[in-house]
Amino acid sequence: MNLRPVIFAAAALALAIAAAPTARAQSQPAQTPAVESPWTRSIVTLEVARKQYDFLQPWNTRNRSAVKTGIVIGPREVLTTAAEMFDRTLVRLQKDGAGEWWVGEVTWVDYHANLALVTTEAAAFWEGLEPVELRTAAADAALQIARWRQGNLELRRAEFTCYVVREAELSGINHVMLACDSDIVGLNGGEPLIANGHCAGLVTTQSGRACTVTPASLIRSILEARRQGAYRGLGYFHWFWQPAVNLDSLARLKLPGRPRGVIVIEVPERPDGAPTVMKVGDIILSIDGFEVDTSGNYRDPEFGRILIENLSTRGKWAGDESRLRVWRDGQELEVAYRLPKYEFTNALVPAARYDTPPEYLIVGGLVFVPLTDEFLQSWGPEWKRKAPFRLLYYRNQPRTREQPALILLSQMLPDPYNIGYQDQRLLVVQKVNGQPISRLSQIQQALQQPVQGYHQFEFMPGDAIKRLVVKAGEEETEATARVLKRYGIREARRLAD
Amino acid sequence: MSWNTDLDRFGDGVHVPAVRVHQLLGLALLTLAAASPAAETELSVVQVINFGQQPAWDAPWRFETVQRGSGSGFVIKGKRIMTNAHVVSWARQIIVRRYQDPRPYLAEVEFIAHDCDLAVLRIKDERFFEEIEPLEFGGLPKVRSTVVTYGYPAGGEEISYTRGVVSRIERQPYSHTGIRHFLACQTDAAINPGNSGGPVVQEDRVVGVAFQGMQGLENAGFFIPPPIIQHFLKDIEDGRYDGFPRVGIQLAGTQSPAYRSWLKLPDNGTGARVDRLLPICNKSGVLLEEDVLLRIGDYPVASDATILFEGNRVSAGVAFQLAQVGDTLPIQVWRDGKEISLQLPMEACEVDRAAGFQYDVLPRYFVHGGLVFTPLSLDFLRAAGIDAADPGQGELIYELRMRPTDDPRNARPEPVVLATVLPHEINANWSVRGRAMVDRINGVRIEKLEDVVRAFEQNRSDFDVVEFVPHHAVETLPRAKLAGANTEILSNYGIPSDRRL
Repeated sequence: MNLRPVIFAAAALALAIAAAPTARAQSQPAQTPAVESPWTRSIVTLEVARKQYDFLQPWNTRNRSAVKTGIVIGPREVLTTAAEMFDRTLVRLQKDGAGEWWVGEVTWVDYHANLALVTTEAAAFWEGLEPVELRTAAADAALQIARWRQGNLELRRAEFTCYVVREAELSGINHVMLACDSDIVGLNGGEPLIANGHCAGLVTTQSGRACTVTPASLIRSILEARRQGAYRGLGYFHWFWQPAVNLDSLARLKLPGRPRGVIVIEVPERPDGAPTVMKVGDIILSIDGFEVDTSGNYRDPEFGRILIENLSTRGKWAGDESRLRVWRDGQELEVAYRLPKYEFTNALVPAARYDTPPEYLIVGGLVFVPLTDEFLQSWGPEWKRKAPFRLLYYRNQPRTREQPALILLSQMLPDPYNIGYQDQRLLVVQKVNGQPISRLSQIQQALQQPVQGYHQFEFMPGDAIKRLVVKAGEEETEATARVLKRYGIREARRLAD
Repeated sequence: MSWNTDLDRFGDGVHVPAVRVHQLLGLALLTLAAASPAAETELSVVQVINFGQQPAWDAPWRFETVQRGSGSGFVIKGKRIMTNAHVVSWARQIIVRRYQDPRPYLAEVEFIAHDCDLAVLRIKDERFFEEIEPLEFGGLPKVRSTVVTYGYPAGGEEISYTRGVVSRIERQPYSHTGIRHFLACQTDAAINPGNSGGPVVQEDRVVGVAFQGMQGLENAGFFIPPPIIQHFLKDIEDGRYDGFPRVGIQLAGTQSPAYRSWLKLPDNGTGARVDRLLPICNKSGVLLEEDVLLRIGDYPVASDATILFEGNRVSAGVAFQLAQVGDTLPIQVWRDGKEISLQLPMEACEVDRAAGFQYDVLPRYFVHGGLVFTPLSLDFLRAAGIDAADPGQGELIYELRMRPTDDPRNARPEPVVLATVLPHEINANWSVRGRAMVDRINGVRIEKLEDVVRAFEQNRSDFDVVEFVPHHAVETLPRAKLAGANTEILSNYGIPSDRRL
C-alpha cells in the first residue's frame, strides 16, 4: 500500500466483449498464414465460455464468451492471462489462427498475478507447436505484440514506455508492469510481447494505444516457484507509507546522514492476525538490501528505478520474509516482515470472488446480498464515480473484527407481505432481530429468533430509513414461496458458508 | 418511504436528482424605460441591482471581482422592499429602480433570511415612496388558479408580466443554501433570470415571490408562497431573524401493515413514525425513536408522512415550519401502544450551515508558514473545484455532509482543511499541497479552527507536525525559520492579516 495514485486500468479488459469465434472459422480449412513467422508455431487462440452473474439479480446467470491469446511455453503447456478464465464452463484451443478447436483444460490459474496454464489431451493439437522462452526485454529492445487475426498472424510494433509498479488487473497487488504503446487495437489479454525472439511478457490491459504487460521475469519466477511447490500466491506490504521528500520530517525523526527512506504513517492490523511488526514513524531505509530513496523507489537491477511495493513480489511469495532496515526511535534496526497473503475477501468491501457464484438471501421479497466491488460494478464502467456515494465510501473503511463485511438489503421484490416498503433499496444491514450482521448466514440465524412474532431489520445510518419490521412465521414462509414463483427464481438463497 | 424532515440535503448520493435548481438572478442591463400608463401594481414593482463581491473561499483573505446582478422586488408595508436573499447577497452596493423612473435609489438590507431566500430592504431617500402604494399579501393560491408574475427579467428592459396557473404546491429544495426544503408553488408562468424577488399576483394581492426554476423542467417556475413569507415577516418583528424551527427527526411512513401491528397502531391510515432522531438539532428530547406522530399542531399526520395543508398533501415537516422558533407546539404521539399529548419546543438549529452555501459572513482562516487553514465548507469545495458528489473526494464530503448525523461520536464541530500551501522555502518540500483535511497538529486533534491556532502557538518543540486524514499523512515545519517566513509570506502574497477567526 502506498499513497501514490494507482492507475485502475483493470476494467477495460474485463468489459471488452470479445466476439465469439464463429462457425465459419471452424468450417474453414487451416490457412497458411500470410506472414510466415516462427511465432505462428507458438501463438494459439483460446475461446472461453463462462458464466456471468448479474449482481443486481444474483439468481440469474448469463453466458459470456471471450476470445484471447495464449502462448506455448512448454510441453503441452499454454500460458495466458487469468482474465475471463473465472466461472468458466468451457475452454477451447485453436492453433494456426483457424480450423479445428480442441477442448482445453485449465491446469492452473492464479488471480493474484493474472496467469493461467491451459493444456489439452488431444495429441494432434500439439503437433507442429513449439514452446518459446520467457525472457524480459532490455529497455532498448525492439518490441512487437502478436496474435492471430482472421487466420493470419498479426505482428505489430510496440514502443517501450517504462517499467512501472501498478495494481494487478484482477487483484489489488502492486507489482512491476511494462508499459508500452502500440497501434494494435482490441487486445483481449494474453497476447505475447515479443523481443529478440523471446516472449517478454503477456499483455494484460489496453487503454487506447497504451498497453500494460506482465513482464516475463515475474511470470518465470512464479512458474518456477510453482513447479517447486513453493508458490503460495502473492504477498504484499500491509502498511501505508509516504515519501520523505520533506527533509524536515526526516530531521524531526533524527535520521542521521543523507536524506533517504520513506515514512510509515499507518499500520493496520494484519488480516492473518500475525504481529504487525512495522510501526508508525518508522523510516524504511532498505528492503532486502535495496536502498529506498525519499520518493519510495529502489533501483531494480532489471527494471531500473521503481516503487518499493514491487519488492513484495520480487522472487517472494506470501509467507516469505522480507528483511527491512528501519530507523526507529533514534536507531537503525533490522526487521523481518512475513508477507501476508493477499486475500480477495480481506476488505470490508471485497474486490471479487472468482469461481464462486454470488450469494443472496430472499426473505419475503427482501433481497439481501453482500456489498462487494462486483455488486458496485453494476453501475457500469464508471462505477467508482456513479455508484451510490455511501456505498463507495465503505470501500475506504477498515475491516474490523466486529464488522468484517457488510450485507445490503439490495432491493425489494414487491409482494403483499412487504407492502409499504416497496421503495426501499440499497440499505446496509446493521442488525436483524437485535443481532449484529456481517454475513448472510447471520441473517439466516437471526431469522430463527423472531421478536414477538416479528422480524426487525435495522440499517446503518443514512438518508433512508433506519428500521423496518415484517411478520415472522407462516406469513413469511408463504411470502417467500410466492415471491420465488412470481419472479421466476429457483432458490431463496445461495450462501457460501 | 422516509422524509428527512429537518436535515434536508440535496444530492444524497443515492438518488441523483434529474433536475437541478437554478436561481433567477438576471444580468439584464436596464436603460431608461419609456413612459407608459401604469397600473398601481406596476408602480410598486422595482428592479434591484446588486453590485456584489464574494470572498475567495480557497484564499479567504481575497475577494473575487465585483459582480453586477439584477433581480426584482416590490414595496410592502412599512416602507420596505421585499426581494430574494440571493438577489442581495454579498452586496457592496444595492440600487433600486422604480417603474419608469430614471433615478437610482440606494438601498440597504434590513433583514435577510438565507434559508428561505427572502430579504427586506430599506431606502433612506423618502422620495422613493412617493405615489407608491405598498402591495398587500393574499393567502396561499389554489392549485389551477391563475397568477401573474411581475418583474424585470432578462431579455428586455421594461417590466414584464407573465401569466400562468399554479401547477402544484409541495415542499421543495430551496437552492440558495441548497440544504433546506420549504413549501413552494410551481407555476407554468414563465419565470426567468431577473424575475427573482418579483411578486406573483392574484386579484391584486401578492401570493408569492418568484425565486427559482429547474433545469430540465419546461414551463416550470417556482415561487415562495405566503405561509413562508408571513413566517419571515413575523420572525423579524422582534428585530432579529431566527429562522425556521428544526426538530431533528427523520420521519417514515407507516403504510406497512406489519409495522402498524408491531406498534399496535390502529389500521386507520394515520401516523408517521420517528424513524431516527438526528444527533444534531434535537435538543429537547421530547420525541423518541419509534414514536408515531398522529397530529402536529392543528394538522393530523397521514401514514405517508404528509399533512393536508389548505387542500394540498404536503410533507409533514411543513407543520413544524409553520411555527416560530420559541413556540411550543402541541403534538399527539402514539407511544408504547397508546396515544399521548406532548408539548414540543420549537428550536432553531444552524449547526450544519457549512454543508450548504453561506453568505455575508467572511470565511475564517489562519495562515502559518504558508499553510492556509480554513473550515471545511461547501463553498470551499466549490472554490477548490471539488464536485460535492465526487466519491474520489469521499473523506471531505463525508466529513462535511454525513458524519455529523451518521457518526456523531467522531464528528468534529468544525472540520478544518489545509486549503492550499503558499510556496516558500519553508514549505517547499511538502508533499501535501492543499485540499486535505487536518487530523492533528502537534498531537492536538483539530475540532475547530481555534484549535489550529492554539496547537501552533502553544508548541515549544523544534518542529510543527501536521497530520492529515486519511491514513495520517504527516508533514513537518521547522519552527526556527518560522518567524521570518511568516512575515515574508504575508508580504509576498499580499495577505493583510494572518488570521480571521
